[in-house]
Amino acid sequence: MFGEVRAVDDLSVTIPDGAIGLVGPNGAGKTTLLRLLLGLVAPTAGRAKVLGRNIEEGVPIRERIGYMPEHDCLIPEMTGVGLVTYMGRVSGLDTNTAISRSHDVLQFVGVEEERYRKIAEYSTGMKQKIKLAQSMVHDPELYIFDEPTTGLDPRGRTEMLDLVRAIANSPGRNVILSSHLLPDVETICKYVIILDGGHQIAAGELRELLVGTADRLRIDIRGDREAFALRLKEAGYDATAAGSSVHVARGPGVESAIFQIAKGLGAEVRYMGREIRSLEEFFIELVQRNESGGG
Amino acid sequence: MSISLPTYTRREMPLLGRSRRIRAIITTGLRREFKRPAALIETVIGVAVTVILSVALILFRQIILPRQALDLTFFFIPASNSVILFFVTLMASVVGSALIADDLQSMALTLYLSRPITQADYLIGKAAILAPLITMIAVLPLVLTPIVAAFLGLFSWTLALQAAGLAVGIGLLLTAFYASVTLLLSSLTRRKSYAAAGVFAITFGLTVPADILADRLSIPALQYISPWDNYLAVARAAFGVAGNPLDWTLSLAILLVAIVVASLLTYLRMKGVEVVSG
Repeated sequence: MFGEVRAVDDLSVTIPDGAIGLVGPNGAGKTTLLRLLLGLVAPTAGRAKVLGRNIEEGVPIRERIGYMPEHDCLIPEMTGVGLVTYMGRVSGLDTNTAISRSHDVLQFVGVEEERYRKIAEYSTGMKQKIKLAQSMVHDPELYIFDEPTTGLDPRGRTEMLDLVRAIANSPGRNVILSSHLLPDVETICKYVIILDGGHQIAAGELRELLVGTADRLRIDIRGDREAFALRLKEAGYDATAAGSSVHVARGPGVESAIFQIAKGLGAEVRYMGREIRSLEEFFIELVQRNESGGG
Repeated sequence: MSISLPTYTRREMPLLGRSRRIRAIITTGLRREFKRPAALIETVIGVAVTVILSVALILFRQIILPRQALDLTFFFIPASNSVILFFVTLMASVVGSALIADDLQSMALTLYLSRPITQADYLIGKAAILAPLITMIAVLPLVLTPIVAAFLGLFSWTLALQAAGLAVGIGLLLTAFYASVTLLLSSLTRRKSYAAAGVFAITFGLTVPADILADRLSIPALQYISPWDNYLAVARAAFGVAGNPLDWTLSLAILLVAIVVASLLTYLRMKGVEVVSG
């Protein structure tokens, strides 16, 4: 456990070790939660602890946190290695250790000879890597990554996610990944907190959250999914085509109906089992439910 | 792409205290300033001109100031040299105006304040980058003058050391005023040119009209709005110069209040900046 957080309004959650996703639409309260975790603001009510310390302590908490901001924040006239070393020293490392660790983390993120060039000359991908490196230089226990793949091309995004995953999988390190890109969160995180309108609308193990209720089935078919769903509806079942799957409510004889319809349409049933949603589907469902007041 | 984690042992030594973190900001900041040609040239020329003028005042005193008594009041003359005002203003605008404005512009403030330092630590670090540079112009020539004069045997060492001590005091007052006001201006904008213009406006925009109006309207109290005139009033009192047009205690109070208020406002401004934005 690295802390119990209560933020924004009616947010109360105990966050476990590991990689945690923080998702929500704009204005959901993600930024406020990050400010709280960094000890930059104090809650007006309630209490919050990060890494076992009250967030009001601020400085001791930030000694153990590495923060990678979403926006561009690098000092353009400094070199990559100069900036990372500097941030190490501002975090409390002595000069020699800061230089040594700076080279280590730059090696880790894949910045080679470019580290001696001025940051103003870097590409977006390089800047993202420097931002990641500066968050690592003082070897924190908790990493907060705010939209780490923003502005990256597909290759850069994959590289960045690999790096984040490598950090998240390292013993003794915890990651909070705040992102609008739900597939990123889905591939990295074991635990997710979903915020909307300043409220926590879901929190828990990602695997458990994405597994739907036992009374719905997901069917992956090769063939016309829309027609498949329509036939199921005509047969009296609650069915919808969504993405690459068809979702249907369990009912008497549904399994045999599925195979009969598939045979009739010349479609191939490739998977049939308990409904598993993507994080994106789950998120949209929650937000819609929240907007309609369904809690 | 292959990925391997750094192999160093975690936390092989404890993190150094906050004073060392602030020192890192200061040393890195000074190194960056001395890599900037404008700051370097301004420092070299500013220090050279003010020191040379002060020493020349001693060497050519019989030509320049034939009737000036060789006592403590002599040292008010280098302290009141308006070349010092010019170079202090230039130093504050060239170096100081960028100190916070650049961090706001590049959003590097986020990097600083997400580190284990406070807003006050950050401001102390920034002030400590600017203050030594201003001191080189506001204090160094004033301290060198009595020492050179004592070496030449014009003054006793007792008097020279007394003058040097007073010079340090009033020089630091001027330094503190310009450092605090410049940092406030720098914290209010992302554009260092605006802050630089503000420094010039405060120096000359207040001093020149105050002097002209005070003279034309015969109201010496108008000079209280000029930081330079307040500084001169304090310097006159310190060096025992007669005929002070202003009450030096009020002038000192005005400067000290300005320093405190500017520092407080800068701190509040830093507290108000949202470094984590979404």
